[in-house]
Amino acid sequence: MQTDSAAVPPNHDHRKQEPEITLRPFDLSDVGAFMTWASDPRVTRFQRRGPCTSEEDARRYLADHVLPHPWYRAICVDGRPVGSINAKPGQGEERFKASIAYRLAYQHWGRGIATAALRAAVSSLLEEWPHLDRLEAIAEVENPASQRVLEKAGFLREGLLRKYVMLHGKSRDVVMYSLLAAGPKLR
Amino acid sequence: MAEERREITLRRFDLSDLDDYMVWASDDRVTAFCRWDSYTDKEDLRRYMRETVLPHPWFRAVCLGGRPIGAVSVELGAGCDRCKGELGYALAAAHWGRGHATAAVKMAVRSVFREVEGLERVEALVDVDNKASQRVLEKAGFAREGVLRKSMVLKGRTRDLVMFSLISTDALVD
Repeated sequence: MQTDSAAVPPNHDHRKQEPEITLRPFDLSDVGAFMTWASDPRVTRFQRRGPCTSEEDARRYLADHVLPHPWYRAICVDGRPVGSINAKPGQGEERFKASIAYRLAYQHWGRGIATAALRAAVSSLLEEWPHLDRLEAIAEVENPASQRVLEKAGFLREGLLRKYVMLHGKSRDVVMYSLLAAGPKLR
Repeated sequence: MAEERREITLRRFDLSDLDDYMVWASDDRVTAFCRWDSYTDKEDLRRYMRETVLPHPWFRAVCLGGRPIGAVSVELGAGCDRCKGELGYALAAAHWGRGHATAAVKMAVRSVFREVEGLERVEALVDVDNKASQRVLEKAGFAREGVLRKSMVLKGRTRDLVMFSLISTDALVD
């Protein structure tokens, strides 16, 4: 199995150093770290799934959903998982596009980690899936932090989609973002 | 002209509509922006009607004077997508340019919001080059939300699509 580890070099803007992160597949032994963000309502607030209620719940989710997933990676800082990022490819003739989602442990917010992880994920995905034309992601209108992550990572805001998806029992307005494989190259 | 628009009705399809259906389903002008290709064999269309159209949760014949001149459907979402449905429609070319598609779309969204519990959003994705269809949706009161780049493969090429939506609380243009 090919090791999947992408390091993002620091950017050249001396005013703001993005942290060095690595991406790697999850292992069942990551369950403890996984619980850190997966059980936190501040993190799961914008996710379809509610918080994990127990380590057993998290272990089952890792085994049933994360490990067999087409593309699911741990976001690591100094080799320790602090969040996750995944890409879901389209089915059949929609294989040319994939949707990205990510989440980060609350204590690591505001340091550019998600942006660095997203850049690294995009690089890896465009290399691993050469048939990919489009990467897309949605961020709730009420989640400006995530919108900024996408914009900083080079995604283009395409529009506000009203009542696009149900989350925690309510329909939500979201912003649709995309990055094209044929677009301007990332640094 | 107002008289003609009142004659548009929607009803469920029946297999006996096959010949009328074939009129637009075999026409390249109609299918130019459709994901599917024009039908050349009536038996293929009969199978599609039997397997997809007839059992579909929301698929209607657009009738003029009681005879089908097109079709309108809503693909309903499930799970996290249960608040939305995707609109699709096709009209025989001979009947273009008279407001029939707009009338059919307005009737369809009124009905589907009334009939489907929990539906809050009807969306339509239209090829950027399909100006006629964009006008139909605008005239029916849909809001243009943005362009989704390289969102669909149409006849072997990836296309940009315009996203339109109508929310259950929006007023339909009358």
